[in-house]
Amino acid sequence: MPIDVDIEVRRGDRTIAVAFSVDDGETVSLVGRNGAGKTSALEAIAGIADATGHVVLDGRSLMDLPPERRGIGVAFQDGMLFPKLSVLENIAFPLRAAGVGRETARTRAHEKLAELAPTVDPATRPATLSGGERQRVALARALAAEPRVLLLDEPFAAVDAEAKPELRALLRRTLADFAGPRVLVTHDPVEAMTLADRLVLLEDGRVTQTGTPDDVRHRPATRYAAEFVGTNLFQGELVPDQEGVGILRTGGGELTVVWPDGLRTEPVTDVRATLNPAEIALHTEEPHGSPRNVFRGAVEEVATVGGRARIRLRTAPPLVAELTTGSVDRLGIVPGREVWASCKAVEIRLMVPGEEPDTL
Amino acid sequence: MHRRLPLSFIVLGTIGAAFVALPVLGLALRAPWGRIVEILTGPGARTALRLSLEVSLLATLCSVVFGVPLAWILARGTFRGRAVLRALVILPLVLPPVVAGVGLLQALGRQGIVGRWLERFAGIQLTFHTAGAVVAATFVSIPLVVLSAEAGFRSLDPRFERAAAVLGAKPSYTLRRVILPMVAPQLVAGAVLAWARALGEFGATITFAGNLEGRTQTIPLAVFQTLQTDQEGAIALSLVLVVLSICVLVVLRDRITGTG
Repeated sequence: MPIDVDIEVRRGDRTIAVAFSVDDGETVSLVGRNGAGKTSALEAIAGIADATGHVVLDGRSLMDLPPERRGIGVAFQDGMLFPKLSVLENIAFPLRAAGVGRETARTRAHEKLAELAPTVDPATRPATLSGGERQRVALARALAAEPRVLLLDEPFAAVDAEAKPELRALLRRTLADFAGPRVLVTHDPVEAMTLADRLVLLEDGRVTQTGTPDDVRHRPATRYAAEFVGTNLFQGELVPDQEGVGILRTGGGELTVVWPDGLRTEPVTDVRATLNPAEIALHTEEPHGSPRNVFRGAVEEVATVGGRARIRLRTAPPLVAELTTGSVDRLGIVPGREVWASCKAVEIRLMVPGEEPDTL
Repeated sequence: MHRRLPLSFIVLGTIGAAFVALPVLGLALRAPWGRIVEILTGPGARTALRLSLEVSLLATLCSVVFGVPLAWILARGTFRGRAVLRALVILPLVLPPVVAGVGLLQALGRQGIVGRWLERFAGIQLTFHTAGAVVAATFVSIPLVVLSAEAGFRSLDPRFERAAAVLGAKPSYTLRRVILPMVAPQLVAGAVLAWARALGEFGATITFAGNLEGRTQTIPLAVFQTLQTDQEGAIALSLVLVVLSICVLVVLRDRITGTG
């Protein structure tokens, strides 16, 4: 691939080891919690953090090149716009640094500004800009010198919630227009899932999963991966119950599942299972119906994104359910309230070691 | 906010304030206001004023030219002995100026360890020359530039430098376009403090460069010499330094009063 990364970065007493490749025209999102090592990895690729291993771009190692000769454009977290330069001078900076003449640099900076932040006054200082405007200018600056690779570090970190959808749309267009490899560092699932072709999940300085958003959604490798894509993940021993039915015994509780076709009816350890939060129904009274799985527990947290609410439940096992905000209001679901959660056994997707993935 | 203060503190504090204010008041009350313009425009005073301006400004320039890179090295370098180097650079601030003068003589005087080579191969003699007065003033004022600039460099988020590097800037371009503009207030403050210190320099100058009218006799040296024969003339020249000192306070008021 055009860029191959396999690096180790030392951060105090721990080491961050990251390996991935990005194709031309592909967006890979490095995702992970704060402190997982995402930014360190990005800094190592850009050449501003000491790293061992290799970063190869178009067959040429970048490790011995200083950052200014790597041909990598970075839009930094918080923009990192130079406070004593105007917006236009900031965008022209990489061009001037590369030896482009003053007038040409200004013209090209004006073009980039018109393309990415048409409402921003080119003569103003960065301090007066909003978070969204700063990020647009940072993006214009990162792209001004036409880099071979584009790296974006938490582009939405300092952006107001209202400004996010528009910026996301702009970012989507900008990424699509950029022909080279693109890397997006984020901790926000919505950004990663909507903008990335592939996800690289980082936990404690290690890559725990790489795959398309759909891969990760259907087969999250870790609890964090499941949380990230918004899926319930269970792990435990699968034991046969009645005909065609099994029980998944997890540390936190038991689930009734459909026994996979063709699997020998004997206990299997280390079975993982996912459950889409939207398949969980909530009730304010004990339900009597077909769903085999019914759990009682208190509501721990209600988080609203758009018209959807994600409800964290203190059931056994713990669950995340997703409802429309209308249903949440109608049922009167608030933190602390006791509710019943139900789901059909058939909705729980099993991943049995050594077996083909369940692709219901 | 009102807070009750112990009476003893009020008394001691008032004495302290009066003690600081009295000499300035003395100068103002005893000044020969009627002939002050005549004294200051007289040939001797004019020579000293011009020379002082020249020496102090050149010393400030030297302090900035050598002090700012030094501050950068101290702020960003990660070499052994950095603490020792910093202590050494600050030493002139606490060293008695006359000792500095003796030291400069041993280093750069006609028989000095470097000075003798300067004279033999470059024909440069610093003692009894204006250049010597500039050297003495630079020696005592450079720490003020280094301290102020280093504080400025340290307060700078290092991510700006890294961002500039990623954007393709060589270190020299980053310094010129990003870093120096950001630390400009601290550089100006350091330069103004250095200028004030250079302007008032006495001990090192008279020891190292001598007291030659028109060559090394700056205002403080002229004040000292005039005082033997013409008290009013000395007061008039002193008032020039008082006014310039007040100007420095005004320029640096935000940094000195700490009230913003």
